[in-house]
This record gives sequence, structure tokens and C-alpha cells, in this order.
Amino acid sequence: MTVTIYLPDSEPGPEIVHLAPSPPSLAGLRIAVLDNGKPNAALVMTRAAETLARQTGARVSLVTKKGPQGRSANAAIPCAPDIFERVLAQADVVITGSADCGSCTAYSVYDTIELEKAGRPCVVVTTTQFAPIASTMAANFGLPEARTLVLDHPIGGTARETLEGWADAASDRLVELFTAAP
Amino acid sequence: MTTYQPVTAELAADSPDALFDLFEARGLGDGLPMVPPTAERVEAMLTAASGDPDEVLTTLLPRAGIVTRRVVAINAVLAGCTPATFPVVLTAIRALAAPEMNLRGVNATTHLVAPLVLVHGEIARSAGFHAGVGAFGPGNRANATVGRAVRLVLLHVAGARPGSGDAATHGQPAKYTFCAAENLEASPWEGYAASRGVDAPSAVTVHCGEGPHNVHDMEKDGDPQLILDKIASAMTSLGMNNAPISQGEFFVILGPEHAYSLASGGFSRDDVSLYLYDRARMPAAVFRRHFEELAWTQWMKTAPDDHRLPMTGEPGNIRVLVAGGPGKHTLLVPSWGMTRSVTLPVAG
Repeated sequence: MTVTIYLPDSEPGPEIVHLAPSPPSLAGLRIAVLDNGKPNAALVMTRAAETLARQTGARVSLVTKKGPQGRSANAAIPCAPDIFERVLAQADVVITGSADCGSCTAYSVYDTIELEKAGRPCVVVTTTQFAPIASTMAANFGLPEARTLVLDHPIGGTARETLEGWADAASDRLVELFTAAP
Repeated sequence: MTTYQPVTAELAADSPDALFDLFEARGLGDGLPMVPPTAERVEAMLTAASGDPDEVLTTLLPRAGIVTRRVVAINAVLAGCTPATFPVVLTAIRALAAPEMNLRGVNATTHLVAPLVLVHGEIARSAGFHAGVGAFGPGNRANATVGRAVRLVLLHVAGARPGSGDAATHGQPAKYTFCAAENLEASPWEGYAASRGVDAPSAVTVHCGEGPHNVHDMEKDGDPQLILDKIASAMTSLGMNNAPISQGEFFVILGPEHAYSLASGGFSRDDVSLYLYDRARMPAAVFRRHFEELAWTQWMKTAPDDHRLPMTGEPGNIRVLVAGGPGKHTLLVPSWGMTRSVTLPVAG
């Protein structure tokens, strides 16, 4: 005989978030790199930003860690408010990460969504191994279509030359992520 | 008041097997048999709570799942809880929702962190929690099912599913259940909750950390320094998140015999914390060599390389209480790091 039971997974109640308007091109725009301090995150993201800038006529205006005054970074908490404000003041688009562990993925995705809400198109950099977590987090936080660049895994522990190759090869994808979204 | 009514489903039979079939198809459950949460069982659980069962109390991150008393009761039924223990489950969930817990990070991290639920005071006795021999092991329904109910809420409501909302590289057994009562009768000091400023007949502490590490000292004199030096030795590890994160706490759960030896030697609870803070140290240069990023308090960042720095930023981060039975053992529960323990009065 069938019985009626309650399901234990209550509905999620996230806010609905929309992407910031995408620019038609990156020419003349300012790119910020927001670094969560993960090993090689600054290296790979700064290289990607510099290559992107060269190819599109943008410029890299800010490279900063996400902790207070940009002096440190803790990947397991949100971007410090003073750095968030600095990014808004000094950049038109942002690259952030790296989302290549659990809590750092949760918070890099959180940061990217907060920046989109503030009107700054933002790409979060993750890896093949953590892309599923990044996707779940983006959906959890109300923006499943968050702009996500997936690199090979791992970023930490991979040689500089290899990372630079990944960064250079990501340019076309970055242009697409920044400009093609609604 | 915002309310929420959970969804129902038809189950082929009132049995764990039928529930397995339904839940596996939906990605629910912890892998162990569960009790089907029929309306009658959920209503019985809710008799131990006060307030509207459908009032939205909070949401749990990262999924932002809605928490009501009924939602928690459904999970408590699944876990096999008795209604008498239900206020402890509700209080633990409230503690997990506190901002300083950083549940978004706790659930998502690759670290093996699990919430340790400690039960203090009257409800520990009245609801049948166990504080004595083997308190963290099997054999007691209240301890086993309350810890499990908390995990089921994290799985189902907070979205901490391995591989999607929980990236823990290995996970650990304490992610199934991790709950025990403070052994106040065997403690030489005031109750832990009172020491944290929570003046209530019953209270719950939640600490998000590793599984317990054992510290064994059975030397004949019960010399406090030998006991504490061994605990300090267990605390001094570069592999713990406490090493690069100075706000991280340590829970030191003394066996009653160790606690008696320390108190007989004149140590107060604060003395124990201060001694361990003083002894669990490494040269600043060693920390700096191992960690590119150190989430340290400012004075530690400015210390010279040869200065011996503590494993946590202040003595108060070393939390001391008594649990367990006879024997010369103590448990150490290091922290995930970017989280703070929360102690709350029990509220239904």
C-alpha cells in the first residue's frame, strides 16, 4: 500500500540575478584581475588579461589580491569591501579566481556574481575538475549563466610555461564570454 | 511571517527499501537506511517544537535551501530521531546558519570538515544523550541520530551533495554523524556553555572541524605538564588548517581523568588554554616556508623569522570541555579555519 511522505529537500530560495550588460567589444576598456591568492592564480589570470588586452585594444588597469588593501587574500571568504570598491572604480570588466578547490570555487563564483550585480562583466576562472562545482554554485547563487572560463587542471603545481600557454589560448573564449552574453 | 510548505510524494510502501528506491532516483539520502517521513511521524516530531511549523526560519548555504521546523523535522524523522531530541537538531541548524559559521565555505570546501554537535545541560540528560564511555562512538540513539539529522539537512537543504555542493577530496566518517554530550558531572569546571556566556538550562555548540585526534597519556603521576605537552604536540601540525589561519579554533575534549589531573594540579579551564597556546608553537620561518598565503592576525605577520608563533591567534581560540568515560585519553578537534564555533541556548 502506498503512503504519502514529505520530501526532505526544501526548495532553494536564491535571489534571481542577471548578467551585467555585455560590451560590444573590449577596445578601450579597463580589465581588472581579482586574485584570491590560490597558487598560480595571479600568474595565469594576469597573463590571460595581458594577452586579451593586446589582442583587443583593452588595457590591464588593476591586478590585486582580494583581501583588505589588497595585501593578502583568503580564498574562503568574499572579496574585501575596499577592494570590491576599487575594482568598481578602476575597471570595466574583471577576471577573477582561481576556482580550483571547493570553498574557493564557492567564493570566486560569489564574487563574480556580486560584480555582475554591480554592472561589471566578470569571468571566473575554474578548471575541468571544478567546473561542475562552479556550475552548481552559480545556479545556487541565482546566476546559472555566470561567465566561466574552464582551464585544464590543476592550476596550482603546473609549470609557468604551461600556464602561460593556457592563458594565451584562452583569449578568444574570454572575448566571447565578455561580449557575447546579453 | 513567511511560510513554506514542503512537497510530498507517494512511496510504494512504508519501508526503508521503498524509500531507498525513491531517494536514489532523486539523489537524496546519506546511503544508510532511513525512516519514511510520513505526516504522522513528522507531526510527532513537531510536538517537541514551539512556534509555527511552517515559518521560514532561515536558509542554508550554498543552496539557499529553505529551513522551517517542518523541513528539519522531516530530516529528523529520516535520521531516526526521537521527538525529545528534536530541539537540539533545530538549535544546531540555527547555529549552522550563523554568519560566522561560514556555511557556504564549510559545505563547499575540499577539506573534510564536518560539524561537531556538542550538547550541554539539562536536555542532554532528559533526551538521552550520552556523555560517558564511548560518547563519540556507536550505541546511543540520541547521539547517533541527531548528528545524522544535521548531516541530512546539510545534504538535502544546504545542497552539500558530494561532487556538486560538497567538494571534499576524501570526506570522512564524521560527515555521517558527529554528536556527543558534555560530561558535566565529571568536569571539574563550570559547564562549557556557561563559560561562553550562554546562561540557559540547555545549550548546543557547533564547531566545524576535522575528525577527532586522540591524545594518550597514562603516566603514573598524572603530571599536568606531560598531559598538556602531548596535547600541544598533537596541535602542532603543518597539515592542519589552523597552521595558516590564526582565527581557527581547537576543541580540546578532555577525558574526565585527564581533566581531574589538570584540575588537581591547579589548572583552571583558562590555564589549560593559555598553556597550550604557549606550547603549541613553531618558528615563524617554518610557517612562512610552507604557506604562500597566511591568514594571520597582524602581529603574527610582523614577527621575525626566529620567533616561535602559536598555532592559533589567541588563547581563547583553544576551547576546553570534558566528555567521555574512564581512561587516560583526550580528543583534539582542529578547525576548518575560516569558521567560528557557535553556542546557542536550546530553542524549539
